Amino acid sequence: MEHVWGTAAIWMALALVASLFSIRLGISVALVEIAVGVFGGNVLHLEVSEWINALAGIGAVVLTFLAGAEIDPESLRRHLKPSLAIGIAGFVFPFLGAAAFARFVAGWAPDSAWIAGIALSTTSVAVVYAVMVETGLNQTELGKLILAACFINDLGTVLALGLIFAGFDRWLLAFIAVTALVLWPLPRLTRWVIQTWGGRVSEPEVKFLLLALFALGWLATRAGSEAVLPAYLIGLVVAGVFHESRALTLRLRTIAFGALTPFYFIKAGLFVSIPAIISGAALIGAFLLVKMVAKLVGVWPLTRAFAMERRSGTYTTLLMSTGLTFGTISALFGLTNGLIDQSQYTVLVTAVIGSAVVPTLIAQTWFLPETAPAGAREPGQASVSTLPAMESSSLSEGED
Amino acid sequence: MLFRKILVGFDGSKGSWEALRRALALAAPFSAEVWALSVIEIPHWTAAVAEVDEQRALLEERYRQLHDEARQVAAQKGISFHTLVKVGHSAQTLVSTARAGEFDLLVIGHSGHSGVWGTFLGTTADKVVRHAPCTVMVVRW
Repeated sequence: MEHVWGTAAIWMALALVASLFSIRLGISVALVEIAVGVFGGNVLHLEVSEWINALAGIGAVVLTFLAGAEIDPESLRRHLKPSLAIGIAGFVFPFLGAAAFARFVAGWAPDSAWIAGIALSTTSVAVVYAVMVETGLNQTELGKLILAACFINDLGTVLALGLIFAGFDRWLLAFIAVTALVLWPLPRLTRWVIQTWGGRVSEPEVKFLLLALFALGWLATRAGSEAVLPAYLIGLVVAGVFHESRALTLRLRTIAFGALTPFYFIKAGLFVSIPAIISGAALIGAFLLVKMVAKLVGVWPLTRAFAMERRSGTYTTLLMSTGLTFGTISALFGLTNGLIDQSQYTVLVTAVIGSAVVPTLIAQTWFLPETAPAGAREPGQASVSTLPAMESSSLSEGED
Repeated sequence: MLFRKILVGFDGSKGSWEALRRALALAAPFSAEVWALSVIEIPHWTAAVAEVDEQRALLEERYRQLHDEARQVAAQKGISFHTLVKVGHSAQTLVSTARAGEFDLLVIGHSGHSGVWGTFLGTTADKVVRHAPCTVMVVRW
């Protein structure tokens, strides 16, 4: 037991350092935790115990659930056709492209190639959202369409991760049947639990949701699938309830980011090998390029088909080329289940992190749409020259 | 030199308060108007939408309180005072706002960062001085 406390203290110290650095640098705590994990694995030679695996696994599940719950159902309904088309293309093209590249160019085994395809098929809703908040695009219809398409894209990724490696037997049938039976009444049940017992110290509504996540997670794993699959689906169906209950969202978020996801992201960094980054630098670059080119081939023509002007289409395509959370989850799933080795894991996670950074920088620097609100552009590109135009982009304004 | 519109970078730090006081002092003899701009820097490459929203909500509330305090100080001096809150990169937003609003003076406080942070990241003041379209005053405190 003494050993457990010591290990927990070291991991929490790393998580605290990551939080402070992320606040100071203005970079996501997840990325800094991965970097801290890389340091912990390569320099401190930290190891992962059974209980850390458990906490990290729960962290990934809760994070995935929260990601699903962030969808705006109304936006999705309003932009259903273009977001479905763009989201599906955004998943299929890089999934097949990266898998084919891994199999036929890099010479990876079939299962490893599928993991590469899944890990690089994602789009990071959170990365895209952060970029769009800075430019004000999140308030426009274009921004809402892009976000809805990102959710569809990630649904494809989660479905692929959950089904490709599943054993097609009676457990999988049971998992599908039970999931359908649970998801259908879950929004109403969740709302009822909140209304009846919500807001108490014993947190029945949090426990109710965790029960659903853990039970379906168990069934998914038993069927040879992945616990993040039902987690994302549960998040999607209760998104409407979460939009109504901000307090519940905040409490779950506190649990996740305070005590669970640090274990997940630090663990994800722990297995990244610095020597493998150096020796695999060219392959990392190639995977990143394959992902971006595949997104370009799949998404860009559709943006034009849905009457987006050229610049907006390129911007949308670049934002859909981002990735982070589901990419690392997929790669870690592959490593944990022996589908890829540590070198391949390192290549994939580094390419995934690259995809969080590179496309957003290109999009922001050269392809910010003309439809972006005034004041959002670079100073050199600013089309506004008067005070009223400037004020329109401010969040708030007051005067004496 | 006559200043009619003064923009102040205001984040509630000691340096920014000093910058505001200097700006108000400069504005008084010219009956200039003073605008305090607070920039919300949101985290990049996030893993959850919540990271962005929380940071934004946190700073919006903080800036609302700071602007109330600043407004009282300006009112005591009888200066025409306005406040702005924008999301973006601090230096870039200060520069683009100064340009868009045709300000003729931009006042910022020196951050006081030195050593590692200053060397690696540079300071907001460095960047603003390099790119601003108007006169810049960097207030040391």
